[in-house]
Amino acid sequence: MKISFTLNNKKVSIDTEPTKRLLDVLREDFKMMEVKESCGEGECGACTVLLDDKPVTSCLLNIIHVEGKKVFTSEGLSKKFLGKLLIDCFDETNAVQCGFCFPGFLVTSYHYLKTDGEANLEKIKVALSGNICRCTGYQKIFESVMLACLRNDSTGGKS
Amino acid sequence: MKNERKFDARPKVIGTHKFVDDYHYDGMIYGALIYSKVHHGKIRKITYPNDFKLSEFTIVKLEDIPGKILIPEPETDQPFFADKEVFFYGQIILAVAHPNKNILNNFVKKIKIEYEELSAITDIKETLDNKENTFGKQIIIDHRRNVKVEKNWLKTHSVYYTPHQEQAYLETQAMIAKYDEQNEEMFILGTMQCPFFVKEAVETILGDKIKSVQVETSEGIGGGFGGKEDFPNLLAGITALLSFKSKLPVKIVLDRSDDITITTKRHPARIEVETYTDPQTNKIRKMNVDYRLDAGFYQTLSPVVLSRGVLHASGGYNIEDVYIHGRLIRSNTPPNGAFRGFGAPQAFFAIESHIEKIASELKIESYQFRKINIFRKGDEFPSTQKISEDNLFDCFESIVEKSDYLTKYEKYKKFNQTHKDKLGIGLAIGYHGGGYTGNGEKVLDSEIKIKIDKKAIVTIYISNVDMGQGAHTTLAQLFSETIDHPFELTNVHIPNTKICPNSGPTVASRTIYIVGNMVSDLARKIKKDFGFDNLKNFVKQNKQIFPKEFSAKYKPDPNISFDENTYQGTGYKDYSWAACAVELYYHADTYQIELLNCWSMLDIGHVVNPKIAVGQAEGGVLQALAYGSSEFFYKKGFGRMHGFTDYTLPTTMDIPKLFIDFIHTDNEIAKGLGEVPMDYPAPAVRNAFFNATGIFIDEIPLIPETIFHAMKKEKKL
Repeated sequence: MKISFTLNNKKVSIDTEPTKRLLDVLREDFKMMEVKESCGEGECGACTVLLDDKPVTSCLLNIIHVEGKKVFTSEGLSKKFLGKLLIDCFDETNAVQCGFCFPGFLVTSYHYLKTDGEANLEKIKVALSGNICRCTGYQKIFESVMLACLRNDSTGGKS
Repeated sequence: MKNERKFDARPKVIGTHKFVDDYHYDGMIYGALIYSKVHHGKIRKITYPNDFKLSEFTIVKLEDIPGKILIPEPETDQPFFADKEVFFYGQIILAVAHPNKNILNNFVKKIKIEYEELSAITDIKETLDNKENTFGKQIIIDHRRNVKVEKNWLKTHSVYYTPHQEQAYLETQAMIAKYDEQNEEMFILGTMQCPFFVKEAVETILGDKIKSVQVETSEGIGGGFGGKEDFPNLLAGITALLSFKSKLPVKIVLDRSDDITITTKRHPARIEVETYTDPQTNKIRKMNVDYRLDAGFYQTLSPVVLSRGVLHASGGYNIEDVYIHGRLIRSNTPPNGAFRGFGAPQAFFAIESHIEKIASELKIESYQFRKINIFRKGDEFPSTQKISEDNLFDCFESIVEKSDYLTKYEKYKKFNQTHKDKLGIGLAIGYHGGGYTGNGEKVLDSEIKIKIDKKAIVTIYISNVDMGQGAHTTLAQLFSETIDHPFELTNVHIPNTKICPNSGPTVASRTIYIVGNMVSDLARKIKKDFGFDNLKNFVKQNKQIFPKEFSAKYKPDPNISFDENTYQGTGYKDYSWAACAVELYYHADTYQIELLNCWSMLDIGHVVNPKIAVGQAEGGVLQALAYGSSEFFYKKGFGRMHGFTDYTLPTTMDIPKLFIDFIHTDNEIAKGLGEVPMDYPAPAVRNAFFNATGIFIDEIPLIPETIFHAMKKEKKL
């Protein structure tokens, strides 16, 4: 079945099984290795992508549901202003450990900055609650996102 | 003390840093493991589905092994594959490979294995309670000093239980093997902590069928925590065998369900503690510890976990007369393995809970009781090793102050008299010996290599991996700081057994403590031998000398020794010390605890990169808090746990505020950091709950079920 969608701002189409997971389409057919599989059941958020501007776990989504929609992966977002800002903050705080969960965290944090962006710890915790990190204890992730919110504020929300 | 940024942070966030599943080789096929779904049984029949072309599949079993069938381990007793009988749920029976992942998965689902089921020991608590299940070598530390028990001394006795814990590294176990038939060489690429262990395992399974094995780690290693210490040996062996048979590159990536089912976990423990305390002085005068670990069906590296466990089993207290008996217990579950802490978290849970029990029986505040008994400089371990510093005491005093423990303790006592829900604050202390136990580092005989090129670019060659702890950045920083060379010009080579010397495995909090200090020593030696002030200028002026390689071997301290038979002597040359306070809220209606704050104070000697160190400690503390409060593994019926929906990890909403700090010492040595944060927080949770409710709990995690049962037992329901 032919499925067409927008992937990181480019129009793409693919002939595939309608039930193939979006995660597998991205990794196998588009070689987008930044989308990681860890739990395979929607618990950990390592495979998070933006689907029509909302974070979704791509391991739980069949490709048929992506028809006509917009998909962004972490690599796609890394080229945007807020993506760059977040990467700088994650880097500066030495927040990244094994890094396997971070592309998912980037996508979710990007969505938070874009839709709310308040430097509020409780809100940030809620926003990131669908992403699991086993290495960090989350503290430095909060610190990074908080820092990105503050910096984005000081640029007048240039996003 | 600089906060150099991690080499790999940016590509990891973007997602371009490569983990095993991101690698692809031409002609590569995919492998899968087929394992036992019974706890014990004879294999009657294996039937392959007949709607597939069997010739398209590569299938390997025990009889296909050209080399040796046992996986090299401290105790070499586990075969790569089961033979005619399986002994635990998850034991690998065969492996299959096919060029198409979907066809492979469908084929695997349809393979039918019939068993004649036999009796199995799978109830963890019952298994540990039964001494008859003991196997392997037992360890005794005999520090009895003929202390005569007086009639008025308080005898305190209790049995403590700790459960399995899953490492839950986010990147599952994964391996690629690429056989070069022409040169009879096997190349392995994988996610692992110990490349040279993997090399040995592949050489073992293939024997003289190959000339050489080269092992390289993937660019990124998606977490390890001990879980990638020994399982990769098994996985690499089998992947290599598939590649050898098919003559094609083979990749195996476990899915989460298989990973949770068949890989190693933290050993469940049963620890019985008996103490005699003089009520006049409030000093513990005598202690007996019976320390048991459930090893699973095979011993593998459990004897080593046992040895660390017994060396930490009497806790951080100076007791004249101590007797520790350690043993392994066999059950029909997968072999348990390494997990951050390596036998010590179990020990500290028991001892730190027990201290609280004695104090409550003596009717004194446990803070005072700890203060009277805690290790001070000049005291000694049961191994007779002398305590050379007062840093445990300093950590303890500092945490009491930082957490405002004494004020809160009194305040909550009053609060709890009038409220159904309760508030509690609890303390715990811990420590962790750095590096291999006893003579282990001497035996390892680690070697490092440093190359300096014509542009003064320094490359450090070691076999220790960066699995997220930031070890490679920290090692480069150590070199750069030691001789004031630009950090930007200092790199660490990706571990590869053909290119890098064997600096030992990435375990036992040894990468910075042992290998890092070797790097600093070699940097100083290079500087001294050439007599330069500035390496960059020196290279510029003496280009003809470069590129040049330098190497160094580990130099054991000749003044220390350890007797492996009596467990007397220096167990570890240096210890990292820590103390902790946990504050919680108890919701009486739902039997739930909510962690509010956790303060940790650690002594790790020289803190090389504070941000990296704090981050690593925060992660360890959270794993430990979850071990004590929420991570739950079935005690019965292994194999029912399939993923992160069953085994729940803490999310951003489940965690307290974490405060990490390091005490300042003039120690120039960077001591171990990886494990110590795992050792003490779980009992602090338990003790906070005890102070909140007065209910004695002898096991973790403190999930509502555990609390409910404990209340029922104490007839408070």
